[in-house]
Amino acid sequence: MAKAILVDTSKCIGCRGCQVACKQWHGLQAESTRFEGTYENPPDLSARTWRKVRFIETVGEDGRLRWRFISDACKHCTDASCLAVCPTGALFRRPWGAVDLDQELCNGCRYCVAACPFGVVTFNEETGRVDKCLMCPDRVEAGLAPSCVTTCPTGALSFGDRDQLLSQAKKRVAELQAKGEKGAQLYGERELSGLHQIFVLQERPQVYGQPEQPQFAVASVFPSSVTSVLASVVMGVAALVAFRERGGKGEE
Amino acid sequence: MSLTRRDFLKGAGTGAALGGAVGVELGSAEAYVTELKTKGAKEVPSICYYCAVGCGIKASVADGKVVAIQGDPEHPINRGTLCSKAQAYIQVLQHPNRLTKALYRAPGAAEWQEKPLDWAMEQIAQRIKATRDATFVEKEGDVPVNRTEAIATLGSAIIANEEAYLLAKLGRGLGIVPMEHQARI
Repeated sequence: MAKAILVDTSKCIGCRGCQVACKQWHGLQAESTRFEGTYENPPDLSARTWRKVRFIETVGEDGRLRWRFISDACKHCTDASCLAVCPTGALFRRPWGAVDLDQELCNGCRYCVAACPFGVVTFNEETGRVDKCLMCPDRVEAGLAPSCVTTCPTGALSFGDRDQLLSQAKKRVAELQAKGEKGAQLYGERELSGLHQIFVLQERPQVYGQPEQPQFAVASVFPSSVTSVLASVVMGVAALVAFRERGGKGEE
Repeated sequence: MSLTRRDFLKGAGTGAALGGAVGVELGSAEAYVTELKTKGAKEVPSICYYCAVGCGIKASVADGKVVAIQGDPEHPINRGTLCSKAQAYIQVLQHPNRLTKALYRAPGAAEWQEKPLDWAMEQIAQRIKATRDATFVEKEGDVPVNRTEAIATLGSAIIANEEAYLLAKLGRGLGIVPMEHQARI
């Protein structure tokens, strides 16, 4: 049964408990931070920051300021670009859906960093390898929820069977829309054949810094390979024609 | 081709033997299973005293060392959840930047010196006494006030209820008027 994390942004208060819980459980190092005009820190997801709450200020149709929060991490896509491009098999999929990483197999080629449509996989300069959220396989396989979900004080994060969470999320979206939240929507049901971290958003995904139409990195491989095959055929024919003409001249 | 259970096991056995002979490590697949770091650890319940909510925390202790601090799922207030401050609690115990010795910087000096804790306590006690004696006001006009205006206390959100009581009692005993708390700064 596929597992997933549901992030209900309408319940998030931006306490960053999930962010710190992740750092503590996995023993991730702190990062040097700076003040950038918001309470948000560290600057972005990285090999040492696997989960981070983004603070977003946006103006609604009524001209009022809205302060939105989103607990962001690896989406554990079904069509995972990182997994498809990994040459060593360091990235692999757990039977319950998470895209995990075996540090010992990673050779630091960084194909996955370029391939990830969400910019989640990040290179660690110190270890020479990449790192990202693993969805706490140690905890999940021991029957616990990931540490971020366990610590969430408002119930914005939940963990469980993906199908069940999807119906829960749809119910919540309907609830928010009934309350007048016109922008309420579900993110991650069909994106990249289904994400294993799904979101209830109150605005368009773009507002939260998420791609509206995330693309599978190798989706462009087939058309480009067809073009290159065609190009080489054309070049071959052209060469044949050219040599024939020259050969003809030589005989004269 | 029909394959009996016996044939399959035979084949699997040969395969494993061959794999072993050519140096294929069959145990490597197990490396994917990561062990829970709190496995076998003793769970010690406690209370977070960062703020007035007083969430229940559960410290996992293995070999005399705290390996993880999580919310206590049996605590009626937080039911297993914790905020970012409490989640960082383990750093109070184990952060490398934590001071473990008393430091003293003499008036006018630029350098800090390491001092024994007993010496530091003695100094604090003597200086409080000297300041209080020098500035003590018994009466304002005809009204007895018995106070000193030269000392203030600052309570901390990281001290327990009983310690806060003692701090207040000490302050009142000395005649301190401004008694403030960190949370109001």
